[in-house]
Amino acid sequence: MADINDFDLDFGAVTPNAPPSVPPGVSGAPHDPEMDEIARGYAELAAPVVEAPRVAGPKMISVRHLTKRYSSEKAALEDVSVDIDAGEFVFIVGHSGSGKSTFIRALLREVIPTSGQIVVAGHDLDKLRNSKIPYLRRNIGCVFQDFKLLPNKTAFENVAFALQVIGKSKHVINTQVPEVLRLVGLEEKINNYPSQLSGGEQQRVSIARAFVNRPPLLLCDEPTGNLDPQTSLGIMKLLDRINKTGTTILIATHDREMVNSMRRRVIALEGGHIARDQARGVYGYVD
Amino acid sequence: MSINPFYLVGEATTSFRRNWVMSLGAIITIFLSLLLMGVSLYGGAAINSLVEDIESRVSIQVFIADDASSQDIEVLQRQMQSNPLVRSVNFTSKEEAFEIFKRTMEQSPEVIESIQGNPLPASLDIELINAQDVEEVVEQIMASEAFERIADRPDDPSRSVRYGQETVRRLFAFTNALRAIGIVFVIMLAIVSLIFINNTIRLAIYARRNEIAIMRLVGASNWFIRAPFMLEGVIQALIGALLAIVALSALHVWGLPRIRQAVAFMTISVPNATMLGISLTLILGGIAIGIIGAVIAMRRYLKV
Repeated sequence: MADINDFDLDFGAVTPNAPPSVPPGVSGAPHDPEMDEIARGYAELAAPVVEAPRVAGPKMISVRHLTKRYSSEKAALEDVSVDIDAGEFVFIVGHSGSGKSTFIRALLREVIPTSGQIVVAGHDLDKLRNSKIPYLRRNIGCVFQDFKLLPNKTAFENVAFALQVIGKSKHVINTQVPEVLRLVGLEEKINNYPSQLSGGEQQRVSIARAFVNRPPLLLCDEPTGNLDPQTSLGIMKLLDRINKTGTTILIATHDREMVNSMRRRVIALEGGHIARDQARGVYGYVD
Repeated sequence: MSINPFYLVGEATTSFRRNWVMSLGAIITIFLSLLLMGVSLYGGAAINSLVEDIESRVSIQVFIADDASSQDIEVLQRQMQSNPLVRSVNFTSKEEAFEIFKRTMEQSPEVIESIQGNPLPASLDIELINAQDVEEVVEQIMASEAFERIADRPDDPSRSVRYGQETVRRLFAFTNALRAIGIVFVIMLAIVSLIFINNTIRLAIYARRNEIAIMRLVGASNWFIRAPFMLEGVIQALIGALLAIVALSALHVWGLPRIRQAVAFMTISVPNATMLGISLTLILGGIAIGIIGAVIAMRRYLKV
């Protein structure tokens, strides 16, 4: 996969052939200059109208007939089958309780499926021994709505912690951590504690931590759920840049504006079933 | 994956320094639990020595008729000597018995003077290896033909054997109960300290549950997560055990002689070897409890 040096650090005009404005009919927002600006920002991140012919790369995620029941009556996920290729950028949308979180936690093997098969980054989760789960998780970066930073560690230490606990040497830590913090735009605040950072900055630290190990897959569970629209846009730009290095990105979200403007692949879950799976999809719900 | 020992010791000592109030609480808990356990083990050993002393005073006396043949006496004596339950057999002649009687009655010479001749029978005094076997040995004596021929009271041979029938039975019931209570007490204390220590470690882990959640998320192996907590538990248990041993040694050196003086009529002794054994038990038990407590407390946070 791509190295840090392959990054296009100048990410103006990321998608030159993006549609100039929000497609009519999907954005129901009343006229508001600030929202327009944000919508234009997301639109810049939109997928090209004509997809570059994709080389059918190896699959990053392959889910077959996944069913998960917590109790006997209603399934949280029922017969879900989906493939996600390496390098894709995918939104998962759906109401609360539609099964988004269960889906993401199943990919991390935090929940064990009632039935069905999951292959993530080459690991068949069904055949994965418990002692090997840590090695699966080293291939998956995780970003959460509540950041999950350690309050008594600085930004540097929070990111370094992820490398420490998988046994990386001091030398590796001292080179990779500043690099990834520069990538997320926090080189000035490397020694700040989470309480001294804004919400957006904390989420950048959390993304840095998820990405410092260069995992091929990044799972984001409502990464912008606690952030204002302007800050959310910044986070999405960051995730887009990371995607450009070849990292597969999967985002569960409630942010209608973001999904409708970016026009990436959208998988919609409803009551544990896949309701839609569209390339260049939209949010499609009236909340 | 091998764990860097510097990381391990560093994590354990850092957490010890940062959470020293909680660590101190854990150490005191472990110290008191182990001290209670040590004291009850020590008390058990003291009571045991006391019980053994009382039981060793149990012996069997077989009274012999004046006209018994010395052959028959020898037969019974040899039978008893070859009995595996018997430690020693002593023959006390009529004259020796009277001498002993005179010595014990020294303070009332008028009693001795009023006795004409020597009314006391000769006897065989039998000491046992284990006092609890007394009834069995008595039965064997009664079954012996030689005994029937030499018994002091041929009409009722059982009255020629004296071993304090009822007293012995009650004594053993008492000493057995004492032993059983001691064992139950130690077991209960062990359970209590396990629960205490488990709770203390659980609190320490609960305080760091976010850290553990993140460690799991970024793919730290379970042993990597577990090891610092276990090392911390062992360090705390070791310090607690050492404190308990110091306190117990004080009891051994200062307390025991005073107790012995207070109850001089009974022999209470706890040998230094027993004290060493108890100390070792406390250290090993403390470490085991520390590790087991940590593993149990961590289980739910490491569930996959």
